[in-house]
Amino acid sequence: MGAIDIFRLSVRFGPTVLAVDDFTLNIEKGEFVSIVGPSGCGKTTVLNLLTGLVPLEQGDISILGKVPVVGNPDIAYMLARDSLLPWRTTIENACYGTEVRGVARSERVARARALLAKVGLDGFEDAYPKALSHGMRQRCALARTFSLDSPIMLMDEPFGALDAQTKLQLEDLLLSLWQAEKRTVVFITHDIAEAVALSDRVIVMSARPGRIVADVRIALPRPRSVRALQKDHDFHECYSQVWSELERGIAASGGEPAR
Amino acid sequence: MKRDPSTVLVHVVFVAAFFGLWEFASSNEWLNRTFFGSPSGIVRYLIKGFAPGGKLWLELGYTVAGTVISFVLGAVMAIALGLSFAVFPRLERAMDPYLTVLNAMPRLALAPLFLLWFGLGIGSKIAVGTSLSFFIVLANTVAGIRGVSGDLITLSRSLGATPMQIFFKVTLPSAVPVIASGLRLGLIFSMLGVIGAEIIAAEHGLGQTLSYLQSTFDMDGVMALLFLLALLGMVVTTGMTRLERALLRWQ
Repeated sequence: MGAIDIFRLSVRFGPTVLAVDDFTLNIEKGEFVSIVGPSGCGKTTVLNLLTGLVPLEQGDISILGKVPVVGNPDIAYMLARDSLLPWRTTIENACYGTEVRGVARSERVARARALLAKVGLDGFEDAYPKALSHGMRQRCALARTFSLDSPIMLMDEPFGALDAQTKLQLEDLLLSLWQAEKRTVVFITHDIAEAVALSDRVIVMSARPGRIVADVRIALPRPRSVRALQKDHDFHECYSQVWSELERGIAASGGEPAR
Repeated sequence: MKRDPSTVLVHVVFVAAFFGLWEFASSNEWLNRTFFGSPSGIVRYLIKGFAPGGKLWLELGYTVAGTVISFVLGAVMAIALGLSFAVFPRLERAMDPYLTVLNAMPRLALAPLFLLWFGLGIGSKIAVGTSLSFFIVLANTVAGIRGVSGDLITLSRSLGATPMQIFFKVTLPSAVPVIASGLRLGLIFSMLGVIGAEIIAAEHGLGQTLSYLQSTFDMDGVMALLFLLALLGMVVTTGMTRLERALLRWQ
């Protein structure tokens, strides 16, 4: 049994739109897997099915041997936007997940404090989100996500809205947090460089209806530094490999680059 | 907020000139005192009214009490109903047409009815004030609840939050700023309703006094009352704004 097993999953929106078609994917425990594809290919839909937020209609999904269910404590979900509660301070926001999941107060504050220090937000514990930059808010969201003790992390383009420099910093930060614990990560992105730099495997999806067109193993050694990789020859090899797979997928599905 | 001393000076000069000119014009009979009164007459009226034995304190007390009571009643009922809409959306759908009809009706037109039901005492003005504050606060409560970010709900559900947790940790706090601005309007509307009801008919209150002074052509008194009402309105709004700012430091 892997961490996540998806078998012949199909998703329809209404009678005509086939969003995801015959999607089969097995993810091992401790693997960092990215799913890339053009916008509208159903990446986020797959993630929402794993969280149970979208009901499963066709196919099978098993998460650590169990069917998806809303609020599954085995899953920590990180959204594209930071989703910080604006009336809570940084430390209170970092505690939000553990608070909902019933972790004792002293324990959750201690975890949040430790993680805020790791993400570089020490000194900003009592600031409200409006006083933080985009990058800092996403750091706080990372702290909130990692303070949950779920073995599986689902991340939906968490760095999509950040500028290039901040993005690299946060990618390195994510890798260092992940490296320490090796939880299973499913990372959705449309940025191939990001997927290659972070992942053990990159799953390439075609445009709608979303199908898997390639499953590329990234053999770059770990621990990695995303910034150092930017000038690394092997990294660019992997990048162009994934890129050509993506192009092939787009061409096969009718030549629509993005919706 | 710091004020520029020169701006303050300009205002002082302007106000002094305005009242000086008014006083000058009325004492020289350029302005008819019967219709416009005079600043000195206004001041005399106010001093007499607020001096021991004067009746303005009592009238002011009635109006303020009526405003506060109808604001609290209207706001409490509106927030309770609005929040229950968040928990039971079917209730909102069921009540919506009736609330729309009631809200469309000019509430001051209900004053004659309320006077008949509740008499000339404080009851009828509270009824009018409450009917005004209730709807404005309800509208804001509903808008506040609808304005909750979908991301925050998604995140909370993925964490396994119960509907109760979502309500208290997400929906309610995120609705507070919109409810607060509704409360500010609600307080002003309460005052409006109370004074309106008093003008139509009442035993006591600034509105009743105003209407009496007008019918006896006491223009100094009418003008004095208008200034008093403006001042009262200002105190009410600044007070609410201060309170709002203290409560919503995170904004």
